[in-house]
Amino acid sequence: MEIIIQSLFNGILMGCIYALIALGLSIIFGVMNVVNFAHGNFVMLSMYFSFWVSSLWGIDVVLTPLITFPLLFIIGMLIYYGMIDRTLREHYTIQIAVTVGLMTFLGAITQLAWQARPRAISYSFIQGNIQFGGYTIALSRLISAIISLIIIISISFFLSKTWPGRSIRATSDDSDAASLMGVDFRRTYALAFGLGSSLTAIAGGLLMTFQQVDPTMGLRFGLLSWCILALAGLGSIPGLLISGLIIGVGESLTMSFWDPRARSLVIYLIFILVLWLRPRGIFGRK
Amino acid sequence: MSSEQILKTSKLTKSFGNLIAVNQVELEIHQEEIVGLIGPNGAGKTTFFNLITGLEIPDEGQVIFKGIDITSMPPHKICKLGMSRTFQVTRSFAGMSVEEAIRVGAYNRREEREVQKKVDWVIKFFELEDIRDYKCSDLGLASLRKVEVARATATEPDLLLLDEVGAGLTTTELLRLMSELKRLNEETKITLCVVEHVMQMVMGLCERIFVLDAGELIAKGLPSEISNNQRVIEAYLGRRSYIESSSTD
Amino acid sequence: MNRKKNRNIENFLLLFLLIMALLVPLILGANQYNILLVTTVLLYGVMATSWNIIGGLAGQLDLASFAYLGLGAFTSGTLFIRFNFTPWIGMILGGLVAAGFALLIGIPLFRFQIREVWYALTTCALVEILKVVFNMWEEVGGPVERYLPYFRGSLYHMRFSSYVPYYYIMLGILLIALLVNSRIARSKLGYYLKALGEDETAAEVLGVNTRACKLRALVYYSFLIGVTGAVYANMYGYVHPSFFNGQESIKIAILGIVGGRGITYGPLLAALLLVGTQEFLRASLGGEVSGLYLVIYSIILILVVLFRPSGIATLFQSGYQKLATGEVKKKSVI
Repeated sequence: MEIIIQSLFNGILMGCIYALIALGLSIIFGVMNVVNFAHGNFVMLSMYFSFWVSSLWGIDVVLTPLITFPLLFIIGMLIYYGMIDRTLREHYTIQIAVTVGLMTFLGAITQLAWQARPRAISYSFIQGNIQFGGYTIALSRLISAIISLIIIISISFFLSKTWPGRSIRATSDDSDAASLMGVDFRRTYALAFGLGSSLTAIAGGLLMTFQQVDPTMGLRFGLLSWCILALAGLGSIPGLLISGLIIGVGESLTMSFWDPRARSLVIYLIFILVLWLRPRGIFGRK
Repeated sequence: MSSEQILKTSKLTKSFGNLIAVNQVELEIHQEEIVGLIGPNGAGKTTFFNLITGLEIPDEGQVIFKGIDITSMPPHKICKLGMSRTFQVTRSFAGMSVEEAIRVGAYNRREEREVQKKVDWVIKFFELEDIRDYKCSDLGLASLRKVEVARATATEPDLLLLDEVGAGLTTTELLRLMSELKRLNEETKITLCVVEHVMQMVMGLCERIFVLDAGELIAKGLPSEISNNQRVIEAYLGRRSYIESSSTD
Repeated sequence: MNRKKNRNIENFLLLFLLIMALLVPLILGANQYNILLVTTVLLYGVMATSWNIIGGLAGQLDLASFAYLGLGAFTSGTLFIRFNFTPWIGMILGGLVAAGFALLIGIPLFRFQIREVWYALTTCALVEILKVVFNMWEEVGGPVERYLPYFRGSLYHMRFSSYVPYYYIMLGILLIALLVNSRIARSKLGYYLKALGEDETAAEVLGVNTRACKLRALVYYSFLIGVTGAVYANMYGYVHPSFFNGQESIKIAILGIVGGRGITYGPLLAALLLVGTQEFLRASLGGEVSGLYLVIYSIILILVVLFRPSGIATLFQSGYQKLATGEVKKKSVI
């Protein structure tokens, strides 16, 4: 019984971060229908950036998103204008091919810069554990989860209360109508891509406080995000959060009770089942 | 002119959420006829086509084609039985050439050995010889429409449904299309059911007309009867002069 | 008369290429590394060409090619290890197992109308699932490589002391894959697949049983790759769950896309160019700065996709057309 609760805690905490990553993907896919195969590698790249900034300037890794967030935002927008924009009129496989090229490129660059062995930080001021009703929770995981939640809620506000945010939502609903209302849809797409990518910077920095990074992690994060997206459907941020939690808990329970090697297995099976039985997602609008 | 029924629908109904798109529609089409299906925008004509071609499943009612209940049959089986259609927004095989697109249709009935003959026949009939090697994505609207009709004809249907083939065509193009359809019906005995907004085409081509409004069948009969039907005129509100002028053709 | 001239030039070109291909090992001599390199290029060529059936002709973005490769490898390999079963029959069985699995997945997948990106992601997940399953399946897989029995030169066991025979076997499979592709493309199935790839709904009302066609394409594709998997296992001498490689599966699809979707020799061309370049870069740069070759490769890939989305093969097509008929066909009609 104890194991279940402990496992649940860990799953929920992890799920918050997963939801943040998935949110980034959801913004990109929801707005411009682009399948960004490189999204998982953005997470990995962000983790490396955080590691690098932290070791270079001695900043605690949990603060690195302050730097990596704007950095990835700009990178995201540049990638949009440089690569994605041109492929919008082409067949969707061309878009995918470009993002796959990007994915390969990012993997290669990180391998070049940091070699293939895993990297981790040695100290963060939020490391250590706290006790909570007899259960041990890593402080870094807890704080990461809380920060993720704060960001998710902020993004939710941003999308519904601010002009750029609302233009993003409008463009995702109907880009023609939106452009008639004075929204430059290409700039909106760029913003969306930048925003979606920069969210991975936050997630990456947070993950670095308690995990290590290696060049092969990208695909796993990518597929995980898609699983969460499929489960949640498009159009609901709370739904995304809940799906993230479900996936996080599912993964955690699998690791505790079945086999650590099977952790992704269960997620992928859930993914396939959802696509078969409820393609709109549990909370999806379309 | 045979009076055998080729298509009959009874109590055909389909709703999308709160909207009843097709409401208890009952009509029958006879072999070798050319019938028209008209009605204001949103009347449910395309949904009706979708229902009888198997692209949608009705909530209620039946579709009987050549004596067989095809209500829940998949589209490709219906085509095998002998019904084909064109689409309101042309669904062309953009990357294929005109000849290739027609060939796809021709395979419905023909085996490898005879398929080329059929393709050549269809191309000749619709006078597409000049553009047979052109990619569908390079064609203009009038040609695209013709290719869609040709493609569907290649499946050797007994009943051919045409969804707004006349939209967007110039008068010359329209008249050409109309004469080709008439010729098609006369020479191959294919039954035609035409959904149209262009009244000139409907009145000039169709022997009988059905009128849909808000999902319901509100009138059926000869063109002359329809153009004087009060309910029909009201449904079109404002198109009155249009109907009157075209009925004098 | 133009077509006849085309046909003759085409045949001559093909014959020439075939002879060159047959001579390659002789040109490369005894350098086993190089032979393995070209065999690997051929391997990717085979997989990409087979992929063309489902990805190019049928238009389904399948990202599970290495799933079928792994299944073929494990089937043939396990039978070889356990029962001394000859891989020549083992590879047929490998193909059948792969095709059977493909049907198992394909039937519900197509029934539930999973399309486009979700199909791609599902197949991607599939490879990863198989990797984990075989990793955990101690009897057949497991985390450690299972080595095939070593024979210095046994035709029965398809085990040789040099890579050269494997080169020719792979070449043979490639020719079969190209033949299958070309036959399908010209047949009723080919036209039906192209049609449903363009517009499924329109195809349906023209009598195309889209589900059945997609399944057929899936089966041809997976069978070919399953067969290749057996050869793959024999070539490397072992089987291991890492054969179920998601990243490489995506690469195969990229080769198919970049080569020119649906064009028979397109994916092969892409494999020759891209994989050839990659291996060449790896050989010349790999040692010095690990990863640099991959950076250059990915940049090339991105550029090709951005600036020639219709595929590399179309470059050759217009060039070839110019050569053969003196004009490039591209007309517009109003």
